[in-house]
Amino acid sequence: MSTSLSAGKRMSSRRRRQALIGAAYILPSFALMFIFNISPIFLSIFYSFTKYDMTAAPVWVGFENYIKLSQNKYLGMVLSNTVRYVLITVPIQTTLALLIAAFIAGFLKNRYGSFLRSVIFIPVIASLIASATVWDVLYKPDGGLINQFLALLGVSQPINFLGKKPTALPSVAVVSIWKSTGYYMVIYYAGIMNEPAEVQEAAIVDGASSAQRFWYITLPILRPITYMIVTLGIIGSFQVFDLVYKMTGGGPGRATLTVAYMIYSYAFQDKRMGYACALAVGLLIVILLIHLIQTLFFKERDA
Amino acid sequence: MKQKITGGRIIGTVLVTLFAVLCVLPLLYMVAVSFTDSESLYIKLKDLRPNLSNYVYAITKRNFGLALKNSVITVVGSCLLVDVVSSMAAYGFEKKPVPGKETLFQGYIATMMIPGQVILIPMFMMMNRAHLSNTFAALILPMVGAFGIFLMRQFMVAVPNELLEAAEIDGCGEIRRFVTIVIPLVQPALITLTVFTFNAAWNNFLWPLIINTRSEMAVLPVTMSTLSSNSTTNYGMVMAGATLTFLFPFILYIFLQKQFVEGIALGGVKG
Repeated sequence: MSTSLSAGKRMSSRRRRQALIGAAYILPSFALMFIFNISPIFLSIFYSFTKYDMTAAPVWVGFENYIKLSQNKYLGMVLSNTVRYVLITVPIQTTLALLIAAFIAGFLKNRYGSFLRSVIFIPVIASLIASATVWDVLYKPDGGLINQFLALLGVSQPINFLGKKPTALPSVAVVSIWKSTGYYMVIYYAGIMNEPAEVQEAAIVDGASSAQRFWYITLPILRPITYMIVTLGIIGSFQVFDLVYKMTGGGPGRATLTVAYMIYSYAFQDKRMGYACALAVGLLIVILLIHLIQTLFFKERDA
Repeated sequence: MKQKITGGRIIGTVLVTLFAVLCVLPLLYMVAVSFTDSESLYIKLKDLRPNLSNYVYAITKRNFGLALKNSVITVVGSCLLVDVVSSMAAYGFEKKPVPGKETLFQGYIATMMIPGQVILIPMFMMMNRAHLSNTFAALILPMVGAFGIFLMRQFMVAVPNELLEAAEIDGCGEIRRFVTIVIPLVQPALITLTVFTFNAAWNNFLWPLIINTRSEMAVLPVTMSTLSSNSTTNYGMVMAGATLTFLFPFILYIFLQKQFVEGIALGGVKG
């Protein structure tokens, strides 16, 4: 009895020691995560209720920033830009990525296929600023490669892609599609490779064509990945910054203004920190809602 | 299974090949223009000759040498910090009986859903108040995130407890167990995380743009963004800058392709 008790005590003192050592391992991450990832969320919420220009102390203004935000005449424009951006980028990049991944997995499972996958992934590793710089030059009305090509096709008047309202947003979206298709292709490809081979083989035995197998087997199996890719695409569209900063500055006439760019310009150009924080908190709520909808949708489908 | 060569397969191959060409064409064009000294965009083949003058100009006259050095310091510092802090934390979370650790871990995971713009403004204020703007610390310290800890913890699961216990019985100390047993076992994950961090730190733009405003402390993408592309621009020099920015990740990609794809793919799925 007494020996087992002291053994128990020894165990718990060993356990306590281990817990302390464990805490020491976790501590550096906690300090950094708390300072740079967790506390700023709450500070953002706090500042969103203040007026603050970083010279004088923040002044509590209650919901004033949010009220002003609801009356902001550019906000509707930004939301419609974002919706248009989503409608251009998400269907195109998702479909392209899926078709390319499925085609390579089905018909080009050789060195050429893996070479093509490597090449299509290259734009993913280029920084957005370098990409924006290159595409900015490609889009130039005075001799940009795209206009040179269009001239060969007989288009007499060079198109000012980034300088005109109707073309500016789609032109930025094209760069985004160019940069992310390879990324989504890799995710789809991994998903297809994880597909159990027996199902495909059974379908072949039953005489299903490759189109039927794609439609009835591959596509349903990839559904979770598709949800994820669409969600990432939507969330990403609110946060487009680098491309817009380098290519259009939000113009012409705010045709390419995004939420992220708006936050940047309110905070760091106008020094309206409180107001910018209110917009950031709004963005946070929207993004959390999108995550929530995706999760609910998932559960419903699984059940 | 034997695939017959069908028309559909040929057309598909041609289309995918065409898409692959479209993927690299802008980058090939970037490299080509970086070697010409033409100030117009109507580049003729005869203008294309190995000519490093644009690079020399960008590096010596437009701050690219300094930006390159700053980027390298930031990336190396970020990778070291993220690797050390993440693997330590993952080990603590997975292998030590710390009370409340799962709650904390869930809290970490939740931060992955937070868009960067939300934490940007308070972080800017904190860094300024701590007089850390225009330092490498400002660029490196915020690179630690939940993704790295999450990734490392998934690999820590596979480290057998018996191995650690046996080493302890043999008198192998706590730190030595971590460094000589745990770290070698999770090395593949560390490489993936390093590549991910490299890419994130190298391409980071908005944060360096606002926090390090002095040009001596600018990193490559920020210096790149200051080269205006107005009508008087020397396109060759701009493209040389873009090529320099692209070159380092590209070299790494060629040598560590598998880890690169893994690091970036896993990093995006985090949400």
